[in-house]
This record gives sequence, C-alpha cells and structure tokens, in this order.
Amino acid sequence: MYSITMSDSKTGSHSGLPQSADPETLLLRIAQDRDREALAQLFSLLGTRVKAMMLKLGASDAIAEDMVQETFLAVWRKAHLYSTDRGAASTWIFTIARNLRIDQFRRQSNKPYEDLETVTIESAEPNGSVMVEQRQVIARVTDALKTLSAEQQEVVRLSFLYDLPHAQIAERIGIPLGTVKSRLRLAYERLRPMLEDLQ
Amino acid sequence: MTVTHHPDIATLMAFSAGTLDEPYAAVIATHLAMSEGGRETVRHINVIGGALLADEQPAALSDGALTRLMSRLGDDRIEVSSRDDKATADDVPLPLRRYLPKGLKSVKWRWTGPGVATADLGWGRDGKSRLMLLRVAAGRPVPEHGHGGQELTLILQGAYRDRFGVFAVGDIADHDEDVEHQPIAEPGEDCICLVAVDAKLTFQGRIMRALQPLFGI
Repeated sequence: MYSITMSDSKTGSHSGLPQSADPETLLLRIAQDRDREALAQLFSLLGTRVKAMMLKLGASDAIAEDMVQETFLAVWRKAHLYSTDRGAASTWIFTIARNLRIDQFRRQSNKPYEDLETVTIESAEPNGSVMVEQRQVIARVTDALKTLSAEQQEVVRLSFLYDLPHAQIAERIGIPLGTVKSRLRLAYERLRPMLEDLQ
Repeated sequence: MTVTHHPDIATLMAFSAGTLDEPYAAVIATHLAMSEGGRETVRHINVIGGALLADEQPAALSDGALTRLMSRLGDDRIEVSSRDDKATADDVPLPLRRYLPKGLKSVKWRWTGPGVATADLGWGRDGKSRLMLLRVAAGRPVPEHGHGGQELTLILQGAYRDRFGVFAVGDIADHDEDVEHQPIAEPGEDCICLVAVDAKLTFQGRIMRALQPLFGI
C-alpha cells in the first residue's frame, strides 16, 4: 500500500547520515565509558545537523553554535539515561535540542518534558527493540517523509523544524487551523506503519 | 488506570515538536504521565523529529567548536533526577507537582458559581493562555470554560459524562472548538479537572461562565 522501498538491504542508505557511522554505539560508549572520543565523533556527525535545525529558527550563527554546544553538553551529562530502547540516537538528540529550543527561543519552561522523561525512565517500559531496528526505523521514516504530499511535508517541517505553532502555520500558509491539523493527522497515518514497526 | 479518551494526534505532534504554550504542554505531560499508551504514541511521533534531524543538510561548525565542547566537559556533572519532591505531593503526577507543590488537598479554591470552583496555576507566554483547576460538585453541569480557542481538559479526580461518554481519571477532552457538548459531573465525588485554555477568551467569558451553572446551559 506504500510506494516506498523498504527492503532490508537498503536500510540506512537513504538516511542523511553516512552509513559507516553508528551514533547509537557512540552514545552507548559515552554512557558506559564516559568516552570523550565517542562524543567528539557524535558531535561531528550530528552537531552540524543540530546547527542547521537551530538556524531555521532565525538564530544568528553564534547563537546556533551556542545551542549546539548546549545540546552536546546535555548529551554528555544525560548519556547514562540513554539506552537503545529509548530510540535512535538522532531521535534522542532531537528531543534534547527541542527542550533547549523551548527554553531559549520560546522562553518558557521545558520542565513538563523533563518531568515526563523522569516518569518514563522510572516506569522502565521495555519495547523489545534493539539498536539495528532503531536505525532501520529512522531510515524508513526518512524515506517515508519524502513520499508524503507536498502539503503534508510542509506542515510537518514547519512544525518540527521551524518550531511554528499550528495557528501560525495556518496564518503563514493561509489555510484554516483545522486544515493544518487534518494534514498533520493524515501525515501521521501515512507514517504510522513505519513509526510503529519495530520488527 | 485505563485511559479511554486520548488527545488528538495533532496535539501530540505539537507536543513532540515543542510548539505548545506551556499550559497546554503541562496538561499533555500530566496526561502522558498517567497513560502508558500515550507515552508510546509520543515515542513514535518523536521519531519524525529524529528522522528530520538526521536528514538535515549539515551546517558547518566553527573551527574551534569541538575544542570548545571538549574543554567544557571538565566538571563531568551527571544529571540525576531528584527524588526529593516525591514526599510532598504524590496525589498528583510529577509534571503537575511544579504547579501544585502541595497536592490537590492544599488548593486554594475560588468560588465561581454554584457547585463550581477554580484555581489559577499559571500563565503561558505573554499571558495568552492559562493553566487552571476546575472543580465541579458531583451531579452538577461542568461550565463552559474556554469559549472557543484550544481547550484541553484532563480529569484528575472523579468523572464527568457527556455525549462522548464518561471521562474518568487520566482521560483528556481535546475537542475542536466548534464541538458542542454539555458535560455533567458524575454522582459520587467532586470532579476535578486540569484545564488549559485561551486566556483572553476565558476573560471575556467570565460573566457568562458564572451564569451558566445557574441556567444549566
């Protein structure tokens, strides 16, 4: 029913990350061994992408650099909370960068997110997935995002990358708020098999 | 706890993207603390952010960026989640404790109509939205508290019933603003809800809100 290619042999090849790199292993090395070299490698792998995300918010180059620094300092300090059943490294780093974005650019507390993370860790919900599967999920979702309609991709990107609330997306595109929400719902339905597929 | 009424998937996507005003984010985080299924859904949605980040076109970092990062690792501080707050207010989920450090029993309620009391817990950025508690006596109609705009209502105690069914502890009402419904608190105990609403609209609706329980609309 989905037109994208999802054969296992292609796993990882469509992700934006170089195939040789393994951010999950790097994160685990930081978590278990406080491995600075692993942090340096993770920084060169994903730091440039966190910076690109921050620049989309209209941040100056200097502020975007500061946000990258803060993100990876948080990665260093929180790495012991990471395990592969928490998701792919890029997903985990996205949530850290998002929390800093809320604090820095929205100037509001990200404590609801921090507290929820504590609840999640304490409930220790196993999801039975392993590292290689997380990487496959990222690769498949990356591919699947490109198969969404242009309208759906637009609202997803404006929300997740450009940090725009739904009402502002509606204003910017010139469509009703309800249409923004229905496009997002449709995008989720389309991505859902990939997002939920941890096999 | 079995949660049967969940937030709109679009609301959870906004939560994952980090674009909700704090009162709405606080209600969603509190709901998710009560809903394992909800947490799983948000974990799935977060993957969208992870995939978009991994697919970003790299932006070059300044020459000294790595050296700067490495020089700041020195203090080696490891974040450990604090357990101190557990003793104070364990009748409310963790994300709500910051707004309600002493729990539901210490709330200073303000009478706003027969059988209805409210308490302000905080405001969003620029005062545009507000986080509040709403207590409705058992068997009483729940007053309209939003008058349009986005409104999230999470049940913390008791239950109410409307044409969508019974909303009990952990359930969340996340309706489009044009949805008409008249919830009635279930018999038994008072119904206490955590509510995020558009502040301006709530203010304009103040008199109406006080009148509604009288007329039962």
